[in-house]
Amino acid sequence: MSETLVDTNQIDSSKRTWLIASGCAGAVGAGAAAIPFVSTFQPSERAKAAGAAVEVDIGAIKPGEKITVEWRGKPVWIVRRTPEQLAALSQVTNQLADPESKRKQSDLTPIYARNEGRSIKPEYFVAVGICTHLGCSPSDKFQMGPQPSLPDDWHGGFLCPCHGSTFDMAGRVYKNKPAPDNLEIPPYMYLSDSRLLIGEDKKA
Amino acid sequence: MKKILSILLLAFGLVAGAQANTEGVAWDKAPNKTNDLAALQNGAKVFVNYCLNCHAAAFMRFNRLKDIGLTEQQIKDNLLFPTDKVGETMKVSMDPKQAKEWFGGNPPDLTVIARSRSGEKGTGADYLYTYLRTYYPDDTKATGWNNLAYPNVAMPHVLWQLQGKRKPVYEVAEEHGEEVHIFKGWEQITPGTMTPEQYDQTVGDLVNYLQWMSEPAQNTRVRVGVWVLLFLSVLTFFTWRLNAAFWKDIK
Amino acid sequence: MAVFKEISPNASAGEKVSNWFENRFPTAFDAYRVHMSEYYAPKNFNFWYAFGALAMLVLVIQIVTGIFLVMHYKPDAALAFGSVEYIMRDVPWGWLIRYMHSTGASAFFIVVYLHMFRGLLYGSYRKPRELVWIFGCAIFLCLMAEAFMGYLLPWGQMSYWGAQVIVNLFSAIPFVGPDLALLIRGDYVVGDATLNRFFSFHVIAVPLVLLGLVMAHLLALHDVGSNNPDGIEIKGPKAPKDAKGHPLDGIPFHPYYTVHDIFMVSVFLMVFTAIIFFAPEFGGYFLEYNNFIPADPLKTPLHIAPVWYFTPFYSMLRAITSEMMYALIACVVAGAAFGIFKAQLPKILKPVIAVVAVAVIAMMLAIDAKFWGVVVMGGAVIILFFLPWLDYSPVKSIRYRPDWHKYLYGIFVFMFFILAYLGVKPPGVWGEAFGQDIAQRVSQFGTLFYFGFFILMPWWSRIGEPKTVPARVTFAAH
Repeated sequence: MSETLVDTNQIDSSKRTWLIASGCAGAVGAGAAAIPFVSTFQPSERAKAAGAAVEVDIGAIKPGEKITVEWRGKPVWIVRRTPEQLAALSQVTNQLADPESKRKQSDLTPIYARNEGRSIKPEYFVAVGICTHLGCSPSDKFQMGPQPSLPDDWHGGFLCPCHGSTFDMAGRVYKNKPAPDNLEIPPYMYLSDSRLLIGEDKKA
Repeated sequence: MKKILSILLLAFGLVAGAQANTEGVAWDKAPNKTNDLAALQNGAKVFVNYCLNCHAAAFMRFNRLKDIGLTEQQIKDNLLFPTDKVGETMKVSMDPKQAKEWFGGNPPDLTVIARSRSGEKGTGADYLYTYLRTYYPDDTKATGWNNLAYPNVAMPHVLWQLQGKRKPVYEVAEEHGEEVHIFKGWEQITPGTMTPEQYDQTVGDLVNYLQWMSEPAQNTRVRVGVWVLLFLSVLTFFTWRLNAAFWKDIK
Repeated sequence: MAVFKEISPNASAGEKVSNWFENRFPTAFDAYRVHMSEYYAPKNFNFWYAFGALAMLVLVIQIVTGIFLVMHYKPDAALAFGSVEYIMRDVPWGWLIRYMHSTGASAFFIVVYLHMFRGLLYGSYRKPRELVWIFGCAIFLCLMAEAFMGYLLPWGQMSYWGAQVIVNLFSAIPFVGPDLALLIRGDYVVGDATLNRFFSFHVIAVPLVLLGLVMAHLLALHDVGSNNPDGIEIKGPKAPKDAKGHPLDGIPFHPYYTVHDIFMVSVFLMVFTAIIFFAPEFGGYFLEYNNFIPADPLKTPLHIAPVWYFTPFYSMLRAITSEMMYALIACVVAGAAFGIFKAQLPKILKPVIAVVAVAVIAMMLAIDAKFWGVVVMGGAVIILFFLPWLDYSPVKSIRYRPDWHKYLYGIFVFMFFILAYLGVKPPGVWGEAFGQDIAQRVSQFGTLFYFGFFILMPWWSRIGEPKTVPARVTFAAH
């Protein structure tokens, strides 16, 4: 290397100053540059639009009937419960794992569903039709009384075919079943007496 | 002598213009106000009311209009067809097969029309601004309309009720034994519901909106760019001094 | 096996970690020394020497932005155009990634052209650096392929018709042409099949080749050491060295050129980001206006031109008309005559030259000018590979060449720009004079000049008195 003539101390401090300055500025710049790239991972407008709330007309549902709509790729059930089915809710309480829906309340049971029927209006039950065990969709078992795979005192509800979990007519899971939790109640609200909006609720 | 020269120049200009671009007149400058929210909102209204019946803007979502100061409720109330959701794209109501029957072709998608029409004569917005203001009645055409900026266009004059009917006036001159048509101005045949100034303003708003719609991120882009360049100037200053600090050693 | 170095237990944590790695991956540490801290580069580099590092930076930018674009892009003829607008509008910050990639593509060519020009100016391609130059030309060729295939992906009108025209060029090749074009396209016209295979090549195949070639380019360079603006070998047997054997005119790459390159990168980024944020279309040259119209196989736009970085070569393609063929035949005759009568070659070769010349002329008369246009266009790139063997000047660098060489290089650059400009414009852009299409005649002259510059270099590079090359590099402390 060529001869160096300048005082080493002076060089060192100016090098250090500018190294630190450039280093910090560079780090800030690199971080700022990374933000747009990482942001591209977030759901796009198209994903958000596809995940938008779904309007459902419930005027045509007869008592005891269930319809299914899709929201964010998931099946959402709307069941028009009969008075018998509503009455049955209080009769099975001691067979349920979490009758008052206390577990994971913020995830599974919004405020307006923290009641016996787990719904805004007792007559219409709205729930995400996905078993809380491993994600299969339970089948309807609305008929009361003894049936294959169900206890003799069956009060109506849902049976998951994959591993046998059972839920009552408010989506509450029975004790001693593979599924740990009650069915999720999605955000929803009434636009009118016959129109539901699944995916958005009043508090939002 | 001067008159002959000027006519020659004009003629040459017209001829050269026609040669260089077979698509008609020179383009007027479109007003550039992509930061003017009121103009953009007015333009959006005109667009939805007059254009979306036949054209689609298949890559533009209704809720993106929030960027120009509209609330979701305003969009739903004023700009959405009842069957649409606010997160959806501006699809067209017209069936492409019927379009082909009626117009001879599918009306092009308008999402990026303002970017695609730029050329030597000006920006795409300039073209659109000129195009929407140079329609004239022409009996020989199926739609009854022709256009100076896009001769023999298949699209009718959708805004004719606003502008009224008017035709271009030419002065015929002889130059070197050839007949040259020099464009002199417009003659209003029937009035529209708007004065020419109002119409130009409306079309200006519409074109401004089309310009914005072709790249909704453009205003953000410029804003962010200013900060990025400021930051980089500081960084460049640091790295310049850093470089000098090391190279002082080298003799 | 390398020596396992024990370190004192009193050493700092950092030193211990470093030692642990050095015992298990010594090559990495050797590489750092060989290529950075103990790679001695000439101290007199000027700004022309920044473009290699900048090219590497742009390569990284293209790869990173490319990775993120592929997360959202759809390589399907029906979905591609829409997916690009999806990136521009619906993906958060997608527009920025897209503009970085499109500006990066043009920036890559600007940087690479300047980088190559530096080689021309200072004789960086000459012995012993011929292989560095050859790897570089291979990189240039791959870059052109990469850009061409990438340009099809947005599936706009320019994408589609540009690809259609260029692939059809291959069909001009006699006998195998049409089948070759069919094989490239995977269909009778450019379509979904073409799009998918270009996507595969653009995203993975060519980038891998590019990365390998860049590594080879750098390894070859570091083996022989860098040239410099004075063209003086700082590591040669006669070059002065210090007590440790390091060249007196050299400085370790790290920290001096790392710090210098970081500064040049900052300056480059200012220009780069100014374009991205304020003029991403760049007047229609970086993002062409026609490409905002979805591809329509039934309607060709009024004026198709390749992207600006291909236009010098495109001009040459267009310049080869049946008239031009006569000029080219005359050149072949002149070349053969020179070979037979003037050149000092073994006697046996002379009849061979004559026979080959006659065969070539016969082919030039028989086969369409269209095919020869393709040959000329390809030849314009291939001739670059031969540069190390065409330059017979006794001095490497333009600084010590006879002054008129500088003017010749200037005219070369000027003609290259003219060819580029004419390639962007439609034919006939400069009108007519004396019944001649001016633009066409100029491109024809430009083509002949370009090839003449190279083919006649063995002759003109020897003309004139070079200046005395100093023993030590010219350097002013700063």
